[in-house]
Amino acid sequence: MKKKLDFSAIARSKVTWAVVAEALILLVCLFVRPEFFSISYQPSTGMLYGNLIDIINRSSEITIIAMGMTLVIALGGTDLSVGALVAVSGAIALKFLRWDVTIYNTPGDYTVYSFALVIIVPLVVCILMGMFNGFLISKGEMQPIIATLILMVCGRGIAQIITNGKQFTTQYSPFRVIGQGSILYLPTPIIITAVVVAAVALFVRKTAFGTFVESVGINRKASRLSGINAQRIIFIVFTLTGFLSGISGLIYSSRIMSNDSNNAGLNFEMDAILAVVIGGTSMTGGKFSLVGTVLGSIIIRTIVNLVYYFGIAAEATMAFKAVIIAVVIVLQSEPVRNYFAKRSSARREAVKGGAKA
Amino acid sequence: MQNDAVLTMRGIDKQFPGTKALNKVDFTLRKGEIHALMGENGAGKSTLIKVLTGVHEKDGGSIWVEGVDGEAHIHSPQDAQNIGIATVYQEITLCPNLTVAENMFIGRTQGQRVHWKEYEKRATEILDNLGIPARAKQELSSCSLAVQQMVAIARAVDMNCKVLILDEPTSSLDDKEVEMLFGLMRDLKNRGVGIIFVTHFLEQVYEVSDRITVLRNGELVGEFAIEDLPQVELVAKMMGKDLNDLADLEQVGAKHEATGEVIYEAENLSSSESRAFDFNIHKGEVNGFTGLLGSGRSESVRAIFGADRVTGGKVKVKGQEVKISKPHEAMKAGIGYLPEDRKKDGIIADLSVRENIILAMQVMKGFFHPMSRSQMEAFADEYIKALSIKTASQETPVGSLSGGNQQKVILARWLLTHPDYLILDEPTRGIDVGTKLEIQKLVLKLANEENMSITFISSEIEEMLRTCSRLIVMRDRNIVGELTGDQLTQAQVMKTIAGGEQ
Repeated sequence: MKKKLDFSAIARSKVTWAVVAEALILLVCLFVRPEFFSISYQPSTGMLYGNLIDIINRSSEITIIAMGMTLVIALGGTDLSVGALVAVSGAIALKFLRWDVTIYNTPGDYTVYSFALVIIVPLVVCILMGMFNGFLISKGEMQPIIATLILMVCGRGIAQIITNGKQFTTQYSPFRVIGQGSILYLPTPIIITAVVVAAVALFVRKTAFGTFVESVGINRKASRLSGINAQRIIFIVFTLTGFLSGISGLIYSSRIMSNDSNNAGLNFEMDAILAVVIGGTSMTGGKFSLVGTVLGSIIIRTIVNLVYYFGIAAEATMAFKAVIIAVVIVLQSEPVRNYFAKRSSARREAVKGGAKA
Repeated sequence: MQNDAVLTMRGIDKQFPGTKALNKVDFTLRKGEIHALMGENGAGKSTLIKVLTGVHEKDGGSIWVEGVDGEAHIHSPQDAQNIGIATVYQEITLCPNLTVAENMFIGRTQGQRVHWKEYEKRATEILDNLGIPARAKQELSSCSLAVQQMVAIARAVDMNCKVLILDEPTSSLDDKEVEMLFGLMRDLKNRGVGIIFVTHFLEQVYEVSDRITVLRNGELVGEFAIEDLPQVELVAKMMGKDLNDLADLEQVGAKHEATGEVIYEAENLSSSESRAFDFNIHKGEVNGFTGLLGSGRSESVRAIFGADRVTGGKVKVKGQEVKISKPHEAMKAGIGYLPEDRKKDGIIADLSVRENIILAMQVMKGFFHPMSRSQMEAFADEYIKALSIKTASQETPVGSLSGGNQQKVILARWLLTHPDYLILDEPTRGIDVGTKLEIQKLVLKLANEENMSITFISSEIEEMLRTCSRLIVMRDRNIVGELTGDQLTQAQVMKTIAGGEQ
């Protein structure tokens, strides 16, 4: 059976409106500054450059975290600790990027510990912290917002303790590749993000995990009575989000080749939640869309890049971002979507009626 | 209006979206009487109370209260209190970390200053006066539940109430505490307070009440003096059956006499919600738990499925001892359970019909072994046809289906797991007559043709008589009888539910 395109269903989908919003923003750019869209190749680095590439590149940290956040929100919760976990991940990575000060006295392309430790230890610690969140919420039956507040508050403190409150720097080139290198002409973070998004999407949609997450998010009692182990689902989702925050932290610290316990991942939890919401997943839980979340994250970054590109005063940045996000959210609101859905189905009725006559 | 009446309600109407909660209900409370308000859940008892206490506003009818000229207008709980209507709810609504005196006077202090010394003195007087074993300066949480309940009543009485509403005051008390409470109620009655007593414990009604008003489906069945209404007739009235009209309706199919092996057996099984009970079911048997709503029948089957926290007992499935403390473990043992509250415990409203149908089977497989899309569609299609579920498509969210079709979707969810033993708790509630019959026929077919064991619970006794070959009768959370063969008649069931007359 061939499926007919149903415009009213499309108009009702929040993802549609995320696409529309992004297209509108870019369209405005196209008229004002067409050169915004230029992409050039830099043979010296073997990488493509341009605003569009940069937007996707710079949205990586949020997109990766937002994959986990989508599932957290689908369960009806929130994870406030992701930003702090980014700081922890960076702090541990830089801790392992020490060099032998008896030989060299400036940062350079060297390290005492193996590169594997630099990558694995931060990720393991972030997984453990995610498990801590998951444990409090599933077994401890704490509200997610409260449980994750614990690590949000003390996570940065832990990062400080790890680095003795110091800011380390490094010039170790394998580490630089994570945030600043390129693979297949594209910045590495884009590739990492693509792999993460694909892996999460496969895990969630090619197993029954996604259905179970939605089921628990919509009706936990009924899910339990159908045999779903809701506690385990919740535990896995928060653990996954911790892991993803760790990856995000590695990218972030590789970009600055340093750790920054105070500012790394600052407000990432808010941007991630926003990306999920713009992507069409409701804060009350239930049905979720990973594609929508990716779009949401890109929209947020587009706005930020526009601000820089048009040289809007730094003081006005937040206000500008707020206005555009407000417009996007209004576009996606129930009444607006229903209005367009009704109009399109009314038009279809009219076409049908015309055909009959 | 009668002269000795403290409260007269006439022709009370209350409409909720989709249902008529009260339809021209009359209620009269006289001075110094304990008046039991009876009816099954959903009969309109609590709506009537809420109208009286100003939680809901009535849509029609009039209320007169002694001491108020003309009609009483009650728009808020505060209004109700001001004209002397006080309520003590099932759950104690006091502050456990305050003292008894503080609890009695909080929110009622006048002026800027609080004279705790004086309040303590007055509290002591009232407590002594009513014979409540509590001290004014004692922290409330150090009192037993019954005493806390009594303090709540003392607070109400001191507000000079003429009408005292006790909403299920005894449900969390033990027998001795109930006696204490009844003593206090009788005492208040002698002082001229009119008491409305809402409970589902039949024996307690007969112990203290003077008069009974019965509601059913939001309508008044009648008002009776306690001596004119034997317990068995009260049960009949609550269920809306006439004792003289006991002719069984035609059978929906042949009943199945169970002879096979015992599929499931529980000994002393208890859960956080149910008292310990014994139970068994044979292969291909259809049996049922019956009793009034609130008698513990749902709680019992929930214990079997591990839906509530199981606290004790031994369970054998096909002769093998197994531990069932979670739904998942019950499912592995071959048990399925269709819950009583379809909306809260059954459907996953925003998921599609397809996803709802395959859910339990997918859970059994584990999420790393997903069913293919075509497999899911084939299963969903099969059961949509077999149970004739009316839905626009497989992808329609189940929440947009009618009640009966939602119920069939959950039924399909369990049938797909091919359980040996299926528990159906109120599968026919709130659905149209045609679907009710379909479900009953299906139950008998499953038992006869597939040798499935089924426990069937319904508020409608005819349905159970038509389908079950054995009925387990419950009252006040205990099993009080088991009926088989010739005993399976409405009269016998009601007698057993009412108790006393064997």
